[in-house]
Amino acid sequence: MAKDIARQNPQPLKIRERKEFRFPQGYGDNKIVLLVRDPWWIFAYWEIRRDKEESVIGSIRSSGDDVAKSILRIYDVTDINFNGQNAHSYFDIDLKGLASNWYINVGNPDRSWVVDIGILSKKGNFYLLARSNVVKTPRFGMSDKLDAEWMMSEDEYWKMFGLSGGFGVGKGSLEVREMIKKRLEEQVSSGGISSGASFYRKPGERKFWLVVNTELIVYGATEPDARVTVQGKEIKLRPDGSFALRFALPDGKQVIPVEATSKDGIDRRRITPIVTRKTE
Amino acid sequence: MPKGYLAIVLHAHLPYVRHPEFEDFLEEDWLFEAITETYVPLVKIFDQLIKDGVDFKLTVSLSPTLISMLMDPLLQSKYVKHLDKLIELSAKEIDRTTWEGQFNALARMYHSQFLETRHIFVDRYKRNLVEAFKHFQNEGRLEVITCCATHGYLPLMEVERKASVTAQVRVASGLYEKVFGKKPLGIWLPECGYNPGDDEILKKEGIKYFFVDTHGILFGSPRPRFGVFSPYLCKSGVAAIGRDVESSKAVWSAKEGYPGDYNYREFYRDIGFDLDYDYIRPYINADGVRINTGIKYYRITGETNRKEPYSQERARDTASFHAGNFMFNREKQVEHLAHQMGDRLPMIVAPYDAELFGHWWYEGPQWLDFLIRKIRYDQNNIALTTPGEYLKTYKKYQVLTPSASSWGWKGYSEVWLEGSNDWIYRHLHKMVERMVEAARNNPNAKGMLLRALNQMARELLLAQSSDWAFIMKTGSHVSYAVERFREHAEHFTEIYEEVKEGSLDEEYIRRCEDKYNLFPDIDYSVYGV
Repeated sequence: MAKDIARQNPQPLKIRERKEFRFPQGYGDNKIVLLVRDPWWIFAYWEIRRDKEESVIGSIRSSGDDVAKSILRIYDVTDINFNGQNAHSYFDIDLKGLASNWYINVGNPDRSWVVDIGILSKKGNFYLLARSNVVKTPRFGMSDKLDAEWMMSEDEYWKMFGLSGGFGVGKGSLEVREMIKKRLEEQVSSGGISSGASFYRKPGERKFWLVVNTELIVYGATEPDARVTVQGKEIKLRPDGSFALRFALPDGKQVIPVEATSKDGIDRRRITPIVTRKTE
Repeated sequence: MPKGYLAIVLHAHLPYVRHPEFEDFLEEDWLFEAITETYVPLVKIFDQLIKDGVDFKLTVSLSPTLISMLMDPLLQSKYVKHLDKLIELSAKEIDRTTWEGQFNALARMYHSQFLETRHIFVDRYKRNLVEAFKHFQNEGRLEVITCCATHGYLPLMEVERKASVTAQVRVASGLYEKVFGKKPLGIWLPECGYNPGDDEILKKEGIKYFFVDTHGILFGSPRPRFGVFSPYLCKSGVAAIGRDVESSKAVWSAKEGYPGDYNYREFYRDIGFDLDYDYIRPYINADGVRINTGIKYYRITGETNRKEPYSQERARDTASFHAGNFMFNREKQVEHLAHQMGDRLPMIVAPYDAELFGHWWYEGPQWLDFLIRKIRYDQNNIALTTPGEYLKTYKKYQVLTPSASSWGWKGYSEVWLEGSNDWIYRHLHKMVERMVEAARNNPNAKGMLLRALNQMARELLLAQSSDWAFIMKTGSHVSYAVERFREHAEHFTEIYEEVKEGSLDEEYIRRCEDKYNLFPDIDYSVYGV
């Protein structure tokens, strides 16, 4: 429920009137950028300049070929200085509509990736529009690399692994990987306060519900300089001698003596409302 | 001699929310609630522990945006106003609940707590709680560490990574040094987001250690010899400290965690929502939206909507029991580890969001107080420590490259990179590209140009706060998060274009500086390297 800023009245520090700022559709770049989401997924966003695309299409056509479709070509470039030709393997994703980003399931932890965006011709040739940065998906599982200085038996490594992961000892590597995956899915962080997200326990889904409470207002007036007590407790009068008290009213009987004494102590009045609440 | 160590880490952070243009602003309440419910209660128990001569050691990370807000005079005075209204409301509640004994006792509890909070905040620490943390650090009880400047989530800073990460770290470390009079030993990477190689940047900025989640260590390479029970050194020489699973689960877990105990206070029943609208109207948001006041009268009770009144005694007994249970489990843990650790004693690292304590888990500070006292007096198997202290204990630590990871849901970047928020990265990346370009094109800027470039850096950093993406995902306050992201992009882009065209609008820049006034000593040239 964020405050609608435009609706408020930000007079004092109003930054001078300008045409409303909007994020541009593009920045005039021709590029594709990769981000790593997790060990199995990467994310690509891109922007392709129209002139670049047109000139590529032009050269496809001038070679007697034609455009088949726009694709992403995902290369596994692990431990390779990639030159466009030497990837371990690649696969393609057909782009549909006006997509400008894509979540790509590479399905392989601990590998490096490059993505080309380009056009596949009818003859099956690939024409590059832009090439991404290189990213690496994180390892998911225990490293095979051993450190001679800190060597232990295989069993002992697994034992420490189990103790650290909070799932005891003697589990095989596949089993442990599944357990870790499950634990990470249960992972919660409070997100501080700002998230407003309920943290460890969402309140039960309320369907239809009804709450009824009662309150009692006791009010009155006397001489402004009088002393007044309600149920024996002195209260404060408003400047005009009136008063009002508000009580949560539970079931049962409330006897409420109200007593006023004049400033000189000579006059005294006592009125005692009695209120009973009963819930059925 | 203990058999092992426990390092409790509290990470305190809120995004920078400060609206001088409004008298009353909903999202500023995040800070006010955290002060009343978390920071002051923690300060109170630390003060009392010191007074009682109880030795203890904890690590606390204070994010630079939080430090900046806690030290800001405008927010300080807005907080006192906010607190005074709570004091007034709780006094009214004492009268209103005259005929309901259990609620009346609770109204009195809140009233005296708020008065005490006022005393601690205003009289004892002169409205500046950062002084309290500095005091505890100087007393040798707290190891206060830093966090990234605006809690930017580092793994997704793929474009101009070196400049982006360096700025987040250097600005943070600069503020820390100015406030605490020395360099920070450690850093809390926002959301434990670690990208291999970022430690090289930490090294250059003089940071000695950082935290990663459990799998960051377990999946590190080469194989970790000590599980998560010892720090490891990255090739850069900076130490990576891994989170323990068991101690985390005891507090965090939705199912088994302590905070869900039926005797603890129910967070979701607040008089801001429960009471008659006309009565509560002056104490909720100025635009009339009901909000949490912090006055809550019920305990969790069970999986039911019929809640029973809160009992301080029962809750306190439960907190004490849970503290004993937590300690016992840590003792058992170090016993299990006794023959696994070779030449060294294990360190169990238990990090939590500070705001969990008191705000979400009302009894959290009390639990911590019990835990600290029990560890000191009721056993000899474990001792409290801090990473800085533990790292001094041994000459050698295994060298390892932690695996990319975070402590977010599913352990990686999905919280901050998904359908609701992935659109921000192309703009963030463009901003940092432009920032680097502007810094390189304008070395040694002076006067107005210097101010313009520094404000660009502030706006960029603020746009990078991980909070915006997080809020967009979690679904409440979304329009605020989107608006803030947009606003910083707007300020940044306007000034960038002015710098590029060489026509600076002094008035515009001044107003941006007034509104987003944090990091007064920022130096844009950090982006020019």
